[in-house]
Amino acid sequence: MSVPLSIALVFRRRALATFGMCWLLIVGIAAIGAPLLAPFDPLEFDPFVRLSDPGWPHLFGTDHFGRDSLSRAIYGARMAILIGSGSVLIALVAGGLIGMLSAYFVRLGHLLMRIVDVLMAFPALLLALVLMTLLERSVLNTVIVIGIVYATTTARIVFGMTLKLKRDVFVDAAICSGARHASVLFRHILPNLVSPMLVQASFIFAFAQLQAAALDFLGLGLPPEVPSWGNMLSEERIYVTRAPWLLIFPGALIILSVFSMNLVGDALRDNIDPRFKNDIAGV
Amino acid sequence: MLNYALNRVLTLVPTLLAASFLVFMFIHLIPGDPASILLGDTATPEEVAELSRELGLDEPLWTQYVLWLGNVLQGDLGTSVFFREPVLSVIAGGAETSILLATMTMFWIVVFGVPIGIISATRHGSWVDQATSGGAMLFASVPTFWLGLYLILIFSVGLGWFPSSGFPSLADEGGVSNLRYLVLPSLTLAAPNAALIIRLIRASMLDVSREDHVRTARAKGLHPVRVAIKHVFRNALIAVSAAFGFTFAALVSEAVVTETVFSLPGIGRLVVQSILRRDYPVIQGVILIIVVFYMAINLLVDLAYASLDPRVSLK
Amino acid sequence: MALLDIRNLDLRIARGSELLPVVQGVSFAVEENETLGIVGESGCGKSLTALAIMGLLEGSAVRIAGGSVHFQGRDLLTLSPEERRRVMGDQMAMIFQEPMTSLNPVYRVGDQIREAILQHRSMSRRQAHDRALDLLELVRIPDPVRRIDSFPHQMSGGQRQRVMIAMALACDPKLLIADEPTTALDVTVQKEVLELMRGLQTRTGMSIVLISHDLGVISETCDKVAVMYRGRIVEQASTSTLFSNMSHPYTLGLLGSIPATDHDVEWLDAIPGRVPTLDEAVPGCAFHPRCFAAKGSCRTVDPGAAAVSPAHFVRCHFPQGSSS
Repeated sequence: MSVPLSIALVFRRRALATFGMCWLLIVGIAAIGAPLLAPFDPLEFDPFVRLSDPGWPHLFGTDHFGRDSLSRAIYGARMAILIGSGSVLIALVAGGLIGMLSAYFVRLGHLLMRIVDVLMAFPALLLALVLMTLLERSVLNTVIVIGIVYATTTARIVFGMTLKLKRDVFVDAAICSGARHASVLFRHILPNLVSPMLVQASFIFAFAQLQAAALDFLGLGLPPEVPSWGNMLSEERIYVTRAPWLLIFPGALIILSVFSMNLVGDALRDNIDPRFKNDIAGV
Repeated sequence: MLNYALNRVLTLVPTLLAASFLVFMFIHLIPGDPASILLGDTATPEEVAELSRELGLDEPLWTQYVLWLGNVLQGDLGTSVFFREPVLSVIAGGAETSILLATMTMFWIVVFGVPIGIISATRHGSWVDQATSGGAMLFASVPTFWLGLYLILIFSVGLGWFPSSGFPSLADEGGVSNLRYLVLPSLTLAAPNAALIIRLIRASMLDVSREDHVRTARAKGLHPVRVAIKHVFRNALIAVSAAFGFTFAALVSEAVVTETVFSLPGIGRLVVQSILRRDYPVIQGVILIIVVFYMAINLLVDLAYASLDPRVSLK
Repeated sequence: MALLDIRNLDLRIARGSELLPVVQGVSFAVEENETLGIVGESGCGKSLTALAIMGLLEGSAVRIAGGSVHFQGRDLLTLSPEERRRVMGDQMAMIFQEPMTSLNPVYRVGDQIREAILQHRSMSRRQAHDRALDLLELVRIPDPVRRIDSFPHQMSGGQRQRVMIAMALACDPKLLIADEPTTALDVTVQKEVLELMRGLQTRTGMSIVLISHDLGVISETCDKVAVMYRGRIVEQASTSTLFSNMSHPYTLGLLGSIPATDHDVEWLDAIPGRVPTLDEAVPGCAFHPRCFAAKGSCRTVDPGAAAVSPAHFVRCHFPQGSSS
């Protein structure tokens, strides 16, 4: 079944997944329209309204620098989308290529999968921490690091799925009819991987949010001045007793977004080739 | 079984060597001279020169690696810049907290995860199932530090039931009752992991329950609960046991965030603090130990897997 | 009184918000020590009928919409689940089509047989073990003392089916339901398993309901035959009557031969076309789109069951052989 059709089918059936999709759409709109939607400059200090309660004009209140929380949250949507899609892109392209090539070319596979094994000997968060230690704190580096962490998982998953596909008759037929390697890989194998990889992508998108928030919290993720939901939590956590809303809003935003993405992945997973269902690393 | 175990250990050796090489390279990837990095900012030029000689820094990289590995195998992981103590003893200082925290977390994961997962699977499609599996997914979507902060807010600050931070050793005053310091941290760390286990048990049990042999079991007239436990859960356990292992192995590093929230003197917090203090020998040592531990647990998981599934050939 | 007496059994499957009929008005009886064969193509409802008798439809999308299943004088459909389980595996047992997957891969075969015994009989584990050994010997597993500790994956398909039979016989059932017991086996093994079942029946006096798509298997084993098509019994008679006087065109088609009635003799390998899916409405006789003898009324009027001879029922406007 084609991917768009299956998405339509799934969403007709699953109200929760539809809710998830709607929420992600809102986050997307906030990310694109942030300069228009944000009532204040997310970086502007206002020492006269430090830690003010939610109300008018600061709907979500202000942080300890007097910055408008709502504006920071809206700009935070940008970071969420950027980190999610950036790391998904890296993980799927790098991991997907490594996995496919390794399964298809057996000898190359021995070498590449060994390297993947070595990287997977490092627990995900530890690998991210170590890499961040070596790099400067920046948005790009955070995306790259999280992308690399999930590229290893993706490589192993795609490796397994490609091996299964390789045993299929149609791939044999393509090889026997003299198709070139590139053609077998990209015209016969890849199309069958698109749906499961889309499912995997939604879960990676969700994991990446949590991973990025954890890095922010540890002071090893995005630079502190960048308005991200993780940074908002990290910076204001000592004021939690004086201004609990400062943690509730960004926390709820992270939870809602991760939950939504998980719901979407879960619903989509129901519709993929059952052979691949257990390969997916997800919730 | 012994042959199988030996075989698995032997195949792990190359991966372990490669991983240790990466850990070794860590110091060399940091911009600057490794000897000065290892000694910190306060070292004199003489000290730096001496350590350079010791590490064989003018030798080729692989000779340095062999030297380093030789030291590591003798238990010498270098000296902490910050503590001025051998790295191994610094790490050992955090071991008690980390191991107790991981064990207690595993306890919650089993106590909450297994029964809820089984109930969710056996009541598949009912509102109980929808609530538990949906709730589990929600819990898997919560950042641990956020959950930890709110648990502190409610149960320490608000109700005063549990201490909010720190952990005195069990050997200190208070003895075993000091475990109460670990209740909130372990619950925090357990929440997302138990959620994943619930989802996994549910999915695996649903897979198994569609197999033919479950119908055979029902045809014997067995009680549904017996079918669910002895035939469905037991078979699902093969897949689930692997997840238990991986979860436990990952707990020590996942605890980084939790230990920071609750200011626990564990290995996880040591990593973060060492990174912030630029105490590179400690960072390197901790990474190495966590990686070795992680691989050892994964090996045990493999062996457990083989013993749970008679179809896995032990040759 | 018959051991098993089924009247007007109706089964429906939940499809979205609808309940589509999958088995309609099925009635038959099985006497003691008798073998009834149910034959039909896959999807005709024969397996669902078997699962309904056994009580294994619970938890599936199929509901029992009507009818009665009297076994030893009691209507099983009125029993509580608990009472039902007391019959299952004790007085009534079942074996399935796929011996390769019908045993739990993680337990030794001895444990699985013992579980069936201990569920209904109170005896020590030792006694149950001995009983399991006897059963394995009964189904002619070579070297049962060693085999009792084997895992299913260490056995061949034929041996596993023998283990399944041993497990079914654990409590000396009065009725054995065998759903395509030989379909997944090699031809030579098929024969052995069927002979084994016949031999066991002679020994124990149990009744058997044998489900198969293979008229050959049925003709060799059964005393009575019910032919099912699309959820209904279309022909029912004793085996000898049926094979000497096949009346329903579908039964003839199943045998693979259709003797022409008025012109030249022709032989067909199979019935043309396919079984219509559940949601396709077929007016008149459900078989008419595939029937070589279909005429006008077949397309509009559903034939009821009619007796061609005293114990020979057929659901057809124009029964073959009985020249009208």
